[in-house]
Amino acid sequence: MIIKLNNLEKTFVTYKRGSGFGAALRSLFKREKVIVKAVDGISFEIPEGEICGLLGPNGAGKSTIIKMLCGALFPTGGEINVAGFKPARERVRYVKEIGAVFGQKSQLIWDIPPIDSFAMNKAIYGIENSLFEQRLDELVKLLDVSEIIQKPTRVLSLGERMKCEFIMAMLHNPRIVFLDEPTIGLDVIAKANIRDFIVEMNKKGTTFILTTHDLEDVERLAQRIIIINHGKKVFDGSLETLQSELGRKKIVELKLHKNADLLDIKGAVVLDKKSQLEFTLEVDMDVVGISEFVGELSKQAEFTDISIKELPMDKIITAIYAKSHS
Amino acid sequence: MRFIKLYGKCIKIAIAGALAYRLNFLLTTLLATILNALFPIVTILIYNAGASFPGWDFYEVLLIQGVFLLTSNLAYLMFDGVLWTTMQHVREGTFEVVLLKPLSPLTYLVSTTFTPEIFGGVIAGSVLFGFSLFFTGVSSFAAIGQFLLLFAGGFCLMAGLCLLMSATAFKWVDNGRIPEIYDSVMTFGKYPVTIFPQAVRGAASFVIPVAMIGFFPASALLDRVEIAAFFAVIPCVLFMLFGIWVYNKMIKLYEGVGG
Repeated sequence: MIIKLNNLEKTFVTYKRGSGFGAALRSLFKREKVIVKAVDGISFEIPEGEICGLLGPNGAGKSTIIKMLCGALFPTGGEINVAGFKPARERVRYVKEIGAVFGQKSQLIWDIPPIDSFAMNKAIYGIENSLFEQRLDELVKLLDVSEIIQKPTRVLSLGERMKCEFIMAMLHNPRIVFLDEPTIGLDVIAKANIRDFIVEMNKKGTTFILTTHDLEDVERLAQRIIIINHGKKVFDGSLETLQSELGRKKIVELKLHKNADLLDIKGAVVLDKKSQLEFTLEVDMDVVGISEFVGELSKQAEFTDISIKELPMDKIITAIYAKSHS
Repeated sequence: MRFIKLYGKCIKIAIAGALAYRLNFLLTTLLATILNALFPIVTILIYNAGASFPGWDFYEVLLIQGVFLLTSNLAYLMFDGVLWTTMQHVREGTFEVVLLKPLSPLTYLVSTTFTPEIFGGVIAGSVLFGFSLFFTGVSSFAAIGQFLLLFAGGFCLMAGLCLLMSATAFKWVDNGRIPEIYDSVMTFGKYPVTIFPQAVRGAASFVIPVAMIGFFPASALLDRVEIAAFFAVIPCVLFMLFGIWVYNKMIKLYEGVGG
């Protein structure tokens, strides 16, 4: 296992301040201390070469976990071991083994071309000339950025900048790369390019830990999903396991030829009725098989179009968040 | 050696970055030169009015102020960026970017926050230093050695104070007023300390030895330095070591911002 977390905890101390002038004045003399448990006893292990998606609502503790994994924050309790290092304690030696891309924090220097930022990273990581040239060439080709790396960073689009952030994070050939919302704000083409790049690098053995709110990232990339809510782990498993979390259910979208007042099929629930002719049903596969359902549907109504889909990820995840909250 | 190579690389990058906005760079450098050149205006007015700082002639005071400008601007060139960049990173929760590099955060920040715009102050300090030295002369070769030692002491003090101010950002996050307190304390280093009352003189020599930034090194060149000045190098070095220690300790308080 390249990453091992055992009962990891992180507590922050903040101060409560009421609203308004009086409360602000009182806070000058007395402040109420509030202890926030951002990460509350998280344990998991990740093998080398895996892409693991870390999901959770805002404020769940995902970024805090990533920061502790990067060695930027000291845990309050528990143990953390990445590639044989205690990240925060052995930070200087450890960070040579990792890379990180933060969707909202740039490592590029704003006023100069990315190629100069790469050269600075070369000096910082002490990368030999030939290795640097070879690695840069490989990454530039993969991301198709040979022209843009010569332009000042400030004139690049968000997608182009993000590609360069990936090069910045991977020039020193890290074993593990932490990605904190790497596709945030990107258009569909840029997202697809970034995802293809991650898959390609993963094939070469790089382990990726990814936090995201974009469920397409999860579906396309993650071999394993860990869901965090209120600092606790509420799910840990594969995409398939996650999809069956609410039972083996499918979503059926129907367009009918004629009005049907009532569709009464065992195991099927009408979720939405856009018109007298358009229905969305949720079908429980444990109650009714798909062919049995279609057969029964044909008896009750004449339909012109039908599509059968998996239960949407957002619905599954929302249900898991709600369950863990209650 | 690696740090020197890295520092050289980063200086080139910082200059390239500053030159990206040529007009801003030229104006900032010009303004810094002019504002720093006006630094001895009070001294000029005092001596033109027929008054003086007792025991010090006009060019000797200019020499003290030339050394002060040179020391402080050289220290700002290296450490001013550390102060403002630390504050910015802590406030915006982006200090992770610094902690991701396989270097001590201080080495990384000193290397990457070189501030070319402060060149104006270095130029003004060098001109004032050279001009006043032309009139005062140097007493001996030994005086040059003593000057360099005390000059290094002043640089250490400035570095230590900059780092201590930077370190407060990890605890208080927004501490933009602290540099103003620092500037006020520095005022005592701009003039011959002998003109101040005994208590201020003691504090400016040994407690926070701001006399080391201009007065002591200039006195060495004029062969007017007292033996006690050399003992003041010790608190200066201690200030720098303490600044490094406190900065590194305070990094552990870094919490980032909500994700």
